[in-house]
Amino acid sequence: MKEYNILSSRFGRPDGHKLAVYEQEGGYKALRAVLEQNDPAAVRETVKESGLRGRGGAGFPTGVKWGFVPQGAEEVYFFVNADESEPGTFKDRFLLDYDPHQTLEGTIISSFAVQAHLAFIYIRGEFGWLVDRVQAAVDEAYAAGYLGRNILGSGFDLEVIVHKGAGAYICGEETGLINSVEGRKGQPSIKPPFPAVAGFLGKPTIVNNVESVASVPWIITHGPEAYRAFGTEKSPGTKLFSVSGPVKKPGVYEIPLGLPFREFFHDWLGGMVEGEKLKAVIVGGSSVPVLPADEVMNVNLDYESLQQAGTMLGSGGMIVIPESCDMVELIQVLMHFYYDESCGQCTPCREGTGWLHRIVRRLRGGEGTDADLGLLEHVCNGMAGLTICPLADAAVMPMRSFLGKFRPEFEALIQETAAAGAQTRWPRGEQE
Amino acid sequence: MAKLTIDDQEYEFPDGTSLFDACRQARGEALPHFCYHPDLPVAGVCRLCQVEVEGMPKLTIACNTTVRDGMVVHTRSERVNKAVQQVLEMHLINHPVDCPICDQAGECGLQNQYMQYGLYESKVPMAAKVKKHKAKVIGPYVILDQERCVLCSRCVRFCNEVTGTGELGIYNRGDRAELDVAPGVELDNNYSMNTVDICPVGALTSRDFRFAKRVWMLKNTRGVCPGCATGCNVRIDHEGGRVYRLKPVYNPEVNGRWMCDRGRMTYKELHDERRLLRPFAGGREAAWTAASVALADLLRDGGFSLVVVGPRASLEEMFLARKLAPADAVVGGPADLDRGEGDDLLLDGDRTPNRGGLKTLGIPEPAAADLAARITAASGPVLVLGGEPGRDAGVAAALAGCGGLVVIATHDGPSVQAAAVALPGAAWAEQAGVFVNRQGRWQGFAQAVARPGAAREGWRILAELAGLAGVETAPQSLRALRKEIVDTVLSEGELDMDRMPETGFVPGGGER
Ligand SMILES: Cc1cc2nc3c(=O)[nH]c(=O)nc-3n(C[C@H](O)[C@H](O)[C@H](O)COP(=O)(O)O)c2cc1C
Ligand code: SF4
Ligand code: SF4
Ligand code: SF4
Ligand code: FES
Repeated sequence: MKEYNILSSRFGRPDGHKLAVYEQEGGYKALRAVLEQNDPAAVRETVKESGLRGRGGAGFPTGVKWGFVPQGAEEVYFFVNADESEPGTFKDRFLLDYDPHQTLEGTIISSFAVQAHLAFIYIRGEFGWLVDRVQAAVDEAYAAGYLGRNILGSGFDLEVIVHKGAGAYICGEETGLINSVEGRKGQPSIKPPFPAVAGFLGKPTIVNNVESVASVPWIITHGPEAYRAFGTEKSPGTKLFSVSGPVKKPGVYEIPLGLPFREFFHDWLGGMVEGEKLKAVIVGGSSVPVLPADEVMNVNLDYESLQQAGTMLGSGGMIVIPESCDMVELIQVLMHFYYDESCGQCTPCREGTGWLHRIVRRLRGGEGTDADLGLLEHVCNGMAGLTICPLADAAVMPMRSFLGKFRPEFEALIQETAAAGAQTRWPRGEQE
Repeated sequence: MAKLTIDDQEYEFPDGTSLFDACRQARGEALPHFCYHPDLPVAGVCRLCQVEVEGMPKLTIACNTTVRDGMVVHTRSERVNKAVQQVLEMHLINHPVDCPICDQAGECGLQNQYMQYGLYESKVPMAAKVKKHKAKVIGPYVILDQERCVLCSRCVRFCNEVTGTGELGIYNRGDRAELDVAPGVELDNNYSMNTVDICPVGALTSRDFRFAKRVWMLKNTRGVCPGCATGCNVRIDHEGGRVYRLKPVYNPEVNGRWMCDRGRMTYKELHDERRLLRPFAGGREAAWTAASVALADLLRDGGFSLVVVGPRASLEEMFLARKLAPADAVVGGPADLDRGEGDDLLLDGDRTPNRGGLKTLGIPEPAAADLAARITAASGPVLVLGGEPGRDAGVAAALAGCGGLVVIATHDGPSVQAAAVALPGAAWAEQAGVFVNRQGRWQGFAQAVARPGAAREGWRILAELAGLAGVETAPQSLRALRKEIVDTVLSEGELDMDRMPETGFVPGGGER
């Protein structure tokens, strides 16, 4: 097991968040270099060549996205997405907590690359202390001349606003996030137009995940080839995985993409805690399909391999599930989450998430029938691919995969129910 | 232009055309939809207008897509039908299905589309549905049933974008989302009832029309709102001689798809208790024959020495009225009457429908004081029609002192009270006619309901008066009258007033 330090070199260090420490360790050199060269197109090109893919979940190449801003746009905005609300995901908070200046330097360079003069860092509402931490870093950066007018004498201006969300998962979706900052109801907009063309205040806007942004300074300093030396051809670089569940060493890890899960599990995480056996893994946050133990042991942790295995790398929020865990109970928790967080704007998601939630709750309440499993599938079919944003799919993917891979557990529960003479714990028609 | 294929046929549409509109034209009927509305910004929330575009992996909504050259679109494929069915089902799972007590039943988007894509078995037991408010009064004219709402956001967009008043919003999230007025606010703008029209289900209904009639029993007649000089095109919904409601009719040149609440309520005057139902002669109710005798007596020594024709008369009535006295003795009602505050959407400050007609025929409108003076100075009989000039006190006093006053009226009022002979005329929904609006646009309307009591069409009454007054040139049929109007005011054959163009007619072309 090797250490990878593109993103995580200051993790766990009590003073890592301070400007002095960051500068001492080479911080803001990338920014100086970029401003000296004064060529936004070159920055975009470098990031494109590095092959950096968006770490917010979709894995879209960052440099390519930057290129979607219309040439000669007068007013451009840059947003750092720190809404991190996907269950199982807790990597961005590490980046901002231990090393806010790295993300901030990335923000300034990225804003320069797309010629934005106002950037927002949108922080999940529950991360109250992070708002203070990031704001302190922003204040330090202003004082040191890394922000404001005429940064480092380059003529480039940038203001950064730290914005605190109110705790809605859907505000992590980029257009929901933009609406939320505009003071509208936090719900996604229909696309097209895409934010890169018409986003904040109707102007071209780039939204990037914290981790994507935090990777930028290193790429600038070391060059795209150095970055490509890590990872695979199509999934270059390193990625943070936040691991939860009864493994010996849960936490946030920086790994080179393409690392075999087996190796990660045994060598890095130390395997399961005593007395627990691996049952399944959700590799990329609650929204991606679950993989049973035998399947997950054969995958590599990169975008393509995981896609081939029928799941996704997502946010890298890895949830390790032990044998002792009841999969129906787990899916009930997840279905409640999506039901609770659906913005309710479009019908298949609004009604479908509620319907799934109620059926699963009914199953767990001892009122399930054989027909309910078919009904769950039916509801999933009425949601998948038919909505404004991917939240509906994010609910459907775990639901379908739990049903597909762990059907016997659902069936056993239903039989048990039938045998027990359908005693009712949750009254039918109960409201929420 | 973009050439594209829709359901295996080629079509051409101008660039920028919405795929939804293109499909509507190609199919001859709209795609299933709740949220799309041609006059509102696209919301894309109902997810019903799914179509298959070749080369795109997922189905896509037509309402947020513009036509592209070479597009190949399927709107009736297996995949599309399945998706529409599923999305429709999602719309219904929390719907109360209280159609038997819903005013929208019969003109409901949910009912209609469900029948078409039919899934008849409910998979959700009644008791398990999400419960919300029913019958919540949200403004002077509108009542809300949140359970029936499909959250299409049309009404919200209307109040945000058309009136700019923003009273409505969708509160809460997920399937707890519900439409409501903002706290402490009423849906009280002059266009509020348009939300009832655009609501595709029975969530927003009219308090005025509530439980009044099943919609499938109503007959419809095309009309023009008499409420102001804008002349919004309306559909008069009526049955058994009663008008139940007015709905706006699309006229891109006049009112688009909207009308104001004030205008919508004008039908009430048709049925109010002040309607003049029989002729009066010498202060007493009389039969038409008796009234004619009195009139003949009055007009024995010649015609009228003054005709006052108000802006509520039809163009036909105005034209005939003009023949009953010398040109300089035919005047309009007081110019300052029936004026209010207009707005920049539709409502005009001139609250009468046909000042444009007076202008077209060159009939001057004196100020109230001048009119009163002319009435007082009249040496012989005076005729009043097309409105109530006596709502001005000075004019009312002059009328009261007038010996030979003849009035054609729809309602009782100061002039009727002062009249030697009062004749019940037909109101706007009770006869055919033309109003000329503020743009100078001629707009025709048809008879919707029977005339109440002994009321007669205005032009017939005027034709009879012409006979009694010895005017020989009065045409004896509406057709002949209209032909004469066209030949006199326009150039011969320029317009067939019996077949007015859909959007009305502006002499000399489109400009106002
Ligand atoms: C329901 C939903 C929630 C999301 N939440 C987040 C989030 O918390 N953080 C994030 O970076 N991206 C989130 N995304 C993805 C964003 O929409 C967007 O793709 C991302 O921020 C782009 O950044 P990237 O290109 O750097 O990955 C979410 C997407 C959806 C559909
Ligand atoms: S899919 Fe769900 S969360 Fe996304 S816009 Fe539609 S209702 Fe909102
Ligand atoms: S009240 Fe009617 S128009 Fe308004 S959102 Fe609900 S269904 Fe749509
Ligand atoms: S704007 Fe005028 S014409 Fe239109 S509905 Fe209102 S009153 Fe009638
Ligand atoms: S009509 Fe297109 S989504 Fe509603």
